[in-house]
Amino acid sequence: MIGLGIRTETFSEDPILFLHRVLREVRWRFDILNWFQLSIILILFSLFLLIPILSIIVNAFLYGGSFSLKWFETILSDPLYMPWGSLDLTLYEWIEVRRPDGSVELILYIDGFNLGVIPNSFLIALTTMTLSSIIGFTLAYLFARHRFPLSEPLRILMLTPLLSTPFVGAIGIKKMISPEGFINTVFTEIIPILPFKIEITGLAAVVMVQTLLFYPIVFLNVYTALLNIDPSQEEQAENLGASGFQLFRTITLPLAMPGLEAGALLVFILSIEDLGTPLVFRGTNADYLMTVQIFRKIFAPTGEISGEATALAFILLMISLGVFFAIRKYISLRRYAMLSKGGVWRRRLNEVDPLYLPGIYLALATFLFISLLPHIGVTLMAFAGEWPVGSILPSYFTMRNFNTLFLDPDVSRNIFNSVTYAVTATIIITLVGVSSAYLVSRIRVPGIDLLDALVTMPIAVPGIIVASGYFLTFLDTPLNPIQTGAPLLIAAYAIRKFPFGVRTFFAGLEQVDKALEEAAVNVGASRTKVFFTITIPLILMNILAGSMLAFIYSMSEVSTSIVIGDANHPDAPMTWKMYDIMFKGSGGTFQAAAMGFILMTLQFLMIVGSNVVLRRRATALISI
Amino acid sequence: MVEIKTVDLTKRFGNVVALNRVNLHIRQGEFFTLLGPSGCGKTTFLRSIAGFELVDEGRIYFDDEDVTYIPPHKRDTGMVFQNYALWPHMTVYENIAYGLKVRKYPKNEIDKKVRWALKLVHLEGFERRRPHQLSGGQQQRVALARALVIHPRVLLLDEPLSNLDAKLRVEMRGEIRRLQKELGITTLYVTHDQEEALAISDRIAVMNQGEVMQVGRPDEIYLRPSNEFVADFIGRGTFLEGVVLESNGEIRVELENGLGVVVGVPSRGDTVFRPGDRVLVAIRPESFTFRGSDEFNSFTVKVEQISFIGSVKRVEAYAEGRMFIVDIPIEENVAVGDTIKIYVPRSKTIVIKLSR
Repeated sequence: MIGLGIRTETFSEDPILFLHRVLREVRWRFDILNWFQLSIILILFSLFLLIPILSIIVNAFLYGGSFSLKWFETILSDPLYMPWGSLDLTLYEWIEVRRPDGSVELILYIDGFNLGVIPNSFLIALTTMTLSSIIGFTLAYLFARHRFPLSEPLRILMLTPLLSTPFVGAIGIKKMISPEGFINTVFTEIIPILPFKIEITGLAAVVMVQTLLFYPIVFLNVYTALLNIDPSQEEQAENLGASGFQLFRTITLPLAMPGLEAGALLVFILSIEDLGTPLVFRGTNADYLMTVQIFRKIFAPTGEISGEATALAFILLMISLGVFFAIRKYISLRRYAMLSKGGVWRRRLNEVDPLYLPGIYLALATFLFISLLPHIGVTLMAFAGEWPVGSILPSYFTMRNFNTLFLDPDVSRNIFNSVTYAVTATIIITLVGVSSAYLVSRIRVPGIDLLDALVTMPIAVPGIIVASGYFLTFLDTPLNPIQTGAPLLIAAYAIRKFPFGVRTFFAGLEQVDKALEEAAVNVGASRTKVFFTITIPLILMNILAGSMLAFIYSMSEVSTSIVIGDANHPDAPMTWKMYDIMFKGSGGTFQAAAMGFILMTLQFLMIVGSNVVLRRRATALISI
Repeated sequence: MVEIKTVDLTKRFGNVVALNRVNLHIRQGEFFTLLGPSGCGKTTFLRSIAGFELVDEGRIYFDDEDVTYIPPHKRDTGMVFQNYALWPHMTVYENIAYGLKVRKYPKNEIDKKVRWALKLVHLEGFERRRPHQLSGGQQQRVALARALVIHPRVLLLDEPLSNLDAKLRVEMRGEIRRLQKELGITTLYVTHDQEEALAISDRIAVMNQGEVMQVGRPDEIYLRPSNEFVADFIGRGTFLEGVVLESNGEIRVELENGLGVVVGVPSRGDTVFRPGDRVLVAIRPESFTFRGSDEFNSFTVKVEQISFIGSVKRVEAYAEGRMFIVDIPIEENVAVGDTIKIYVPRSKTIVIKLSR
């Protein structure tokens, strides 16, 4: 009868009054602790992210000391970068190899086509994203909605590729898929299904390796999104007569879409900024990727970077930042999966018909084996004595690679460096990250979302760009990377892996009812006191999880490690050493694999540790 | 114990006006309730008093002290949250002792006060329990004890009973009332449940769209709603529109739809009624009687629905397309389809001036 509701008025406030109101609100909301937290974040990110990025942008537009678009003209007209020349559009070719006994062997050689550096990077990222999405979504739907014996352990096993980095994984997988490697040998000789051998290399191999390493990101995001759908929404649709594929297409898929999009775009970013994988396949057309090209144009011993490299870096940065801000805007617009609440949630789980079980197990086992290839490969190589051409396994196993490895006194030093840097970076990420998550989640003043954008942005800033920026910014400062590697490597790890920590802390804070903190303020505790006595204890689990994640990812960081490590070898971390061993002739692939194995083991211990602490809460740790 | 005064309190969230020039005066030791539908601004008002919201304009006074810009932790209010907000990582004892520890009381003093508070809410022996080991009602008591143990100047309660089941709700509301009187503490209570508000309060402010519609004792609010919103929001009733014919203490109103003429009393003393003014006539269901002798104030209605609601039968009846809600004694013999004649005393015929 009489209208209830909220009165809304549109009034255009005087901008000065508005600013005044915002400032008053900020003064009111912030206490000393918050100002301190904010200053630390801003100093850290200005110094080690914004200024370095700015220096790249400035250099990209400078020629002969004044503003110029010359570098961009150079790049955009060069057939190396753009598809202007004669294009290599052969996806695969047949190669005849004459064996020692005189017979001729046919190999299907797949390396993808080369359209120029910029289109390549874009296409590779797009392909990896698509493949990862298909695999990740299928697995997520299977595990989120179906129950069958062993489904839980299998689900966790499917996440193992997260353990690895493209660099370590690629070393292993390269060996396994080489013409004389495990796969080809098994399928042409032991179980002769294939009439010929297949060699996957170059850009095609980059896509393959990245897909195997990144699909868990889509998997996790979609899985979480599916679990977050209120079952009554699907039940309502069924109640109205929808079922089967129609129900999936009209209700389930749209509701899981934000998860899929977030995961897919994250994969796109990780793929386009990946330097480790293409480096492993160097000497093929995998060299024609933006990250590799920038990498080659940095002359580490002197810290020189060509203008061309900065312009290329600028283009790469625009692509990945563009995608990043698109995700943020788009996903936040579509957060409707959480719309309904209340009531009792009973997860929708279908029992799988036992008839299908053998098929599911076979498919999963095959897939699991393929996705574990990198780890299996690295492990086998690490302990391989000799690995004769054409044999599936090494002829004998030995610790020799490790012994040889540690004959080089630098190795233990590099490992020590890695651990020290990662631990320091983790401490920084934890302290500053908790502060920043707290500010964004709790002190809701206008503009605080900018802070959130700033601290999650590093996920979209390619490591090679961070490294180049550091050279440009710090060359003649006390932090000169040529004099000392440690400070900048720690800074690089802390900044680059910050989003993983801060997102985990933030997720924890969002689960804590704000009233718990208000209740403490109400009985007389200052915000600082509340932060330490109420907030921190309540999100302790998330803090631990975020820190472990930050540590694991810091240990396996590749791009900045090899660029900055190359400028100062004694200060270099173990990922640089692996690169050095593989390509600079200071050892062999087996030693690099042994080092990869050590890295994997360290990471594995951390994951097991975090799983023990967190049980199953590790589902949504990787999202934007 | 303080009195609370607000002057022109205004708060906007973006384009939504949550509080629009709210002036309220809550007296010392009074149990004062803010009542209104969700989104009416009552919780925003409470949170502004606690200091969790910074108001855009206006002032808040505790006695003569201007607390508008005092941060929440220095306001000395004790708040009970809707979901109790007990800290899961602390025991009952630690929850209650927190505010005292923050105030740096000596250990034995803390102990004494916590025991006093536990006794106050009848929870002796629960010190070592964790919040999740308590029932809803017990959690509620801990939240109360935690707010009261610091001897706050004001007790603030934000829909504290909405998470309890019906029976416990009535029990706890008596308990809260008892504690409040016992301690004599100025109390601000927020609820959307009008029955609860009427039962528990000394005075009530009815709010809608960020504005205070009426302030008064529960009986005043119920019997003399000062505008159409309050009349509709509090209790049930029959609402008939009409035009003033004459006003001299009593008001004579010509009803629409040829329902005749009624004589009634103004909803508030300060309203001036002139012939020709459009008004709303509000009659509570229990105000109707079966017998009467007045030449006005009677209606012949057709019964369409009867529901048994305990002490009386509530009848929905129609005349000239208008709905009448009438309570009749159980022993009266009335059936659906009957035509009955009903009366309403002049003193219970409330005339409300329509703003339009």
